[in-house]
Amino acid sequence: MRWWIFLPVLAVVMAIDVAFMPALAIGRTSPALWPVLLGFVAMYASRESALLAGLATGALLDAASPGLSVSADGVQQAVPVFGPWMLGCTAGAWAVLELRGLLYRRNTATIAFAALVCAVVAGVAFLAVAGLRSAYADPAPLWGASGAGGALGRLLLGAGYAALLGLVPARGLHATLGAWDFATAGPRFGPGRA
Amino acid sequence: MRVPPAHRLIAGAVLGAALLAALPQSAQAPWSRAVAAVLWIPLWPITAPLSALRDAVRPPQVPYAALPEQLQEALEARDRVQGERDAALLRLREVETELAELTGFRPGRQDGWRPRLASVIARGVGRPAGLFRIDLGASQGVVAGDPVVVGGNRLVGRVAAGGEDARSLVVPLDDARIGRLDAIVAPAPDGAAAARPTVLVQLRAVRDGLLIGELESRDDIRAGDPVLLEDATWPAAARGMRVGTVERVGTLDSNPLRRRIDVRMDVDPARLGRVVVKVSGPGGTP
Repeated sequence: MRWWIFLPVLAVVMAIDVAFMPALAIGRTSPALWPVLLGFVAMYASRESALLAGLATGALLDAASPGLSVSADGVQQAVPVFGPWMLGCTAGAWAVLELRGLLYRRNTATIAFAALVCAVVAGVAFLAVAGLRSAYADPAPLWGASGAGGALGRLLLGAGYAALLGLVPARGLHATLGAWDFATAGPRFGPGRA
Repeated sequence: MRVPPAHRLIAGAVLGAALLAALPQSAQAPWSRAVAAVLWIPLWPITAPLSALRDAVRPPQVPYAALPEQLQEALEARDRVQGERDAALLRLREVETELAELTGFRPGRQDGWRPRLASVIARGVGRPAGLFRIDLGASQGVVAGDPVVVGGNRLVGRVAAGGEDARSLVVPLDDARIGRLDAIVAPAPDGAAAARPTVLVQLRAVRDGLLIGELESRDDIRAGDPVLLEDATWPAAARGMRVGTVERVGTLDSNPLRRRIDVRMDVDPARLGRVVVKVSGPGGTP
């Protein structure tokens, strides 16, 4: 995979997710494009590249939504907590890697399905890590308001919405398949090195 | 059997992520803010036009949006004055209490603040809770704890510590991590009936835009009564600002002597494009 393509695309996707996607929110459920990109990469890239892409995506997600801690004088401090989403996105990419042998590739709906799987697995893994952390490391769970059930419900709704919306960018991503130089995209699409 | 170098790299990276995920916030705080800032530096220039596009696609929620602009401004000015009046009444009550108790001389409050208009440039992604980021920071005098309002006196949340020079994070009132809020229910005047007394209540966030509290069964509170912040842990500029409106007064099965009130925030923090920060920090450039 060409990292010099993936990293700028990831940056743009994250900027769209934090700044523009709330415009498409239904209630408080905002769609996100990062599962579409990560699902797409995990469908075609080599195992190593897909897992590293998951770690990179997770690092940006962790940086985007800090946790809150309370200092001794009662002031709330925003502290980015690296790790939970890094593990979550790696788990999401891994789930797609395991599934991709069963899926019909080069189909827009397949990318949307991969995005759904990626977002669901990543969300569940994030909640699991955040739940474990809340037992000893965080003053309040990283998912913020509502209980874990509510947070899970919202993450699942968001995953479904992201997959549905992902049908549009997935088409565009497929059109650029040759440029990514994926390992498993086949000779028609490029040399397939990494 | 030899493990390929690429596999070792992946295993090491995942192990590193797992170790990071296990570290408590206090261990990450010294460096994680700097790392997050570096990761996001290239993205901030893109977020500004995207935020403008977001507001164009879906106009943000503004109080009195359907009214003509002049009337809208007049009503906002009225609400601002109302907020100041409520805050002054609360302070007056406090001073009266202090005088009555003759606790000795206390210097006057220094609660000067300046309003600063800010744009919401980013929202939390990947987590259900709604911390959001505004384009004002320490260089404009914003300090941790500064209240954030819209429409003159509708409280949205407070600024968290850990922002940057030109950006800050806001914790909305309906995020459970903001903690419990002391507030008063100031009954709305209802015509000829005698004025009802104000009631102190402690609120906590339960879900989107909804806070709940408990009060005694004899307290005369009704749906539609406004709820004002009266919390000594918040800056003086936040006191008297509207937290929301009583939506429902219900029974409390666990304690028949008390009742539960549901307070709905007057604004949805997830639908805001512009907010006003009541800046209390010294200095700052416009």
